[in-house]
Amino acid sequence: MGEFVTVGRADEVGDGEAVAFAVGDEEVAVARVDGDLYAFSDICTHRHCNLSAGGEIEGTTIQCECHGSMFSMETGEVLNPPASEPLATFDVRELEGEIQVAVPE
Amino acid sequence: MTDQRTIVVVGASLAGATAAATLREEGFDGRLVVIGAEELAPYERPGLSKGYLRGEESLDDLFVRTPDWWKEHDVELRTGIRAESLDPHSRTVALADRESITFDAALIATGSRNRRIDAPGADLDGVLDLRTVADCDKIKEAAAGGGPAVLIGMGFIGAEVAASLRALGVDVTVVEPFEAPMQRALGADAGAAVAAIHADHGVRMRFADSLDRFEGDGRLERVVTKLGDELDAAFSVVGVGVQPNVEIWPGEPAPDGGIPVGPTLETEVPRVFAAGDVASHEHPLFGRMRVEHFDNAIKMGEAAARNMLGAGAVFDDPHWFWSDQYDMQIQMVGRAPEDGQTVLRGSHEDRSFCTFSLDSDGVLRAATSVAWPRDVRRAIKLVRAGVRPDPAALADPDVDLRTLLPKDA
Repeated sequence: MGEFVTVGRADEVGDGEAVAFAVGDEEVAVARVDGDLYAFSDICTHRHCNLSAGGEIEGTTIQCECHGSMFSMETGEVLNPPASEPLATFDVRELEGEIQVAVPE
Repeated sequence: MTDQRTIVVVGASLAGATAAATLREEGFDGRLVVIGAEELAPYERPGLSKGYLRGEESLDDLFVRTPDWWKEHDVELRTGIRAESLDPHSRTVALADRESITFDAALIATGSRNRRIDAPGADLDGVLDLRTVADCDKIKEAAAGGGPAVLIGMGFIGAEVAASLRALGVDVTVVEPFEAPMQRALGADAGAAVAAIHADHGVRMRFADSLDRFEGDGRLERVVTKLGDELDAAFSVVGVGVQPNVEIWPGEPAPDGGIPVGPTLETEVPRVFAAGDVASHEHPLFGRMRVEHFDNAIKMGEAAARNMLGAGAVFDDPHWFWSDQYDMQIQMVGRAPEDGQTVLRGSHEDRSFCTFSLDSDGVLRAATSVAWPRDVRRAIKLVRAGVRPDPAALADPDVDLRTLLPKDA
């Protein structure tokens, strides 16, 4: 597991919203639902659309705007095709007003 | 304990491959055979008119599962061989090499093939069409040689190929018998907005005209239309629709040319199912219909797999599909009724809108959007639930469609 790195300020991610951050080469989406943060790869495993751009959040799921693939933001599991590969998910925390994500090396 | 049943999937199509993958994912560990006429492992076709054609996606991006997945999951993937017949009495599928496989349950997912155009010169070099990776590679090669290209037909395929060829810098003219692109799916008003977007990108369109003949000396040189236009052409892509591959079906076809299946996708032959383009399905919301789209192939493949294992579930997906052209996405859900009311959200002039179709009882039956994100996806649940939304709410872009869904739906 990688080290936690600060990606942005806590107020950059509103409730019910997903925002993209770059962590090294990784494009990471951070979403907030009912106060809890979730971090996962921002790149849909189907056709590489950015999930944070127009993806629909419902509960702890996010559905890609391009072709409807739906993932669990908690586990990365595919909940609706056409994607068949799960999303990578990452540990995320809020510390002193900052959002920190741990991306494996 | 290993399941003693054998399941045969005829057609290594998106529907067939999805069904096979679903069978394994649902825990079926009996013998599973997938028979495909094409040599390649099962792949998705939408990219062939878009990312793959433009060189942005590779073949690896298109595979339904990685080619290794099938072996890893003990699926007998038999590609490059055609299934010749299915005998409902002996419950066998016969292959072109005369091998015969006895099945307990079978799925027919043979997809469709392109309609051929019956015109003089259709056999000239440079007259192409698009269904397979090999077809697409020929178009890419022709496009690399420059244009001009003349496309015959501006349905989904013609419109998407036009957009991709423009992105590659090829000069494009399209000949289309209707008054607008994708008119049967979109209607005239939305079709006109899509035509305007194509015109902005430099596509020339000849509507209300059709192909008379291809001309050239061995190789295509020009396309001549019924109205007498002579269009220089280095190559042509014909996209005039498809016909379902139902030859293996031993029974009568449905009036729409498909294989008749009931609400659970089962045919009149017990435990023989059909899915995807070939399935003429008794839909609980819309009545009998046959759908030639990507999402339907996946959803029917999954549902047929579960029902082959005995789930007995009615397939009631409201049918969602999309088309990507330039940076615009068109989306559709449902089936618009022949009479009833339409409600517009957004505007045709801005070329960004969503049209809702309600039946004579005010039930939302379909929605179509052009360059208008989110609302068609949100309408899926409304169509499935059969709600009667307030037309004023549908017309108001500030109303979140999710709020129109009853809490108990």
